[in-house]
Amino acid sequence: MSEQELGRTVTTTVNGTEVSRYVLNRSTLAQFLRDDLGLTGTKLSCELQVCGVCSVLVDRSPVSACTYLAVDVDGRQVETVEGLAQGDSLHPLQQAFVEEFALQCGFCTSGFLMMSVALLRKNPDPSEEQIKEYLDGNICRCTGYAPIVEAVQLAASRMREEGNV
Amino acid sequence: MLGSFTVSRPTELEDALRLIGEDSLAYWGGTELFLAMKMQLLVPDNLVDLKAIRQLSDVRRTDSELVIGAGVTHEQIAEDKTVRESAGLLSSVTARVGNSRVRAQGTIGGNLCFAEPRSDLATALLALDASVDFRSATGQRSLTIPEFMLGPYWTAREPEELLVAVRIPLPAPAGVYLKFQFTERPSVAVAAVESGADQPVRVAIGAVSEIPILVTADDWSGIDAAAIAAGIEPVPDLTGSVSYKRHLVEVLVNKAVAAVQAGVRDV
Repeated sequence: MSEQELGRTVTTTVNGTEVSRYVLNRSTLAQFLRDDLGLTGTKLSCELQVCGVCSVLVDRSPVSACTYLAVDVDGRQVETVEGLAQGDSLHPLQQAFVEEFALQCGFCTSGFLMMSVALLRKNPDPSEEQIKEYLDGNICRCTGYAPIVEAVQLAASRMREEGNV
Repeated sequence: MLGSFTVSRPTELEDALRLIGEDSLAYWGGTELFLAMKMQLLVPDNLVDLKAIRQLSDVRRTDSELVIGAGVTHEQIAEDKTVRESAGLLSSVTARVGNSRVRAQGTIGGNLCFAEPRSDLATALLALDASVDFRSATGQRSLTIPEFMLGPYWTAREPEELLVAVRIPLPAPAGVYLKFQFTERPSVAVAAVESGADQPVRVAIGAVSEIPILVTADDWSGIDAAAIAAGIEPVPDLTGSVSYKRHLVEVLVNKAVAAVQAGVRDV
């Protein structure tokens, strides 16, 4: 096998910016984001799709970046936590996480935020039960989860008021 | 860390079938495959990305069956109106598979082919009397779930075969799917379903033994939860011992049967 066959040039849009990079087939999306693009807001922990810290969106759909090939984002749109804030204005979910103390160490937070973005796009007015179900695959060892659920509810209500879902 | 491999991206099913083989593995969401590759359990030379083959993403219904393409994700099945109207149990099962990311990326075909012994879909589809269709470059065949599921991570699929669709006979039996779960995968799962008055009732017990088991009876009085629990061979692991899991089976079968008899559906 030639070296070229073991990778390819990928053209993708990351947080609204088009990027082209040569990536190895074996590279995960998490490696591509963190090592090639320097977007280290996406974390790595279990690398088994269980903990959720690497959650990002590909074509608006949530994926575990630890277990997703970088070559598979060719022609697709990627969203990471770095794309949430608009300049100095936090995204409503980020603002609500701050106000509700929905983070402590912060390691899991980008994953929770991206999953919450995916949830609220699908369901702008989720019940507490629906939030818990959707975020069931994300682990937080600091907060006890209740503040996270409250933050998502707060953000959801603000976003509905602003028509910003 | 993944090993090195090449990636093929066919857009036609026939091209994919020519590519698939022992060292050239099909993938869609990769939610099962990449874990196995990280653990070096599978070390393919080539991967065949099926995501551009549109005909694998169809859900269609005829008078006698519901046909779900192998590339339909759990999330798509859970949200599909045709599935909800014709096989509601499958909607509720797929809405609770794995976690939201696995549901968004993982497909029904990949789930079945990987034959993870705690697969929710295998248990539910056994209860629904489903069959699976295969294509290869040289032929095609269809197998029932018991013919297909041979053991843990072991199916009757040949390396050059691709699972292309799942067929559920209609009208599908209706009932409940209960699981006892406190880690990423269930410890015990029970699907209990019934059709018309003259049709046998069906109970599928999964996640607890090496492959899901089907018990049928003329009516619900013929389902003996204690006997089922005694006859099952649980795999002991961190979620429980053999005797504990047998106890869970008995409790869950009784709960499922009581729920179906009380008219609970699609839970």
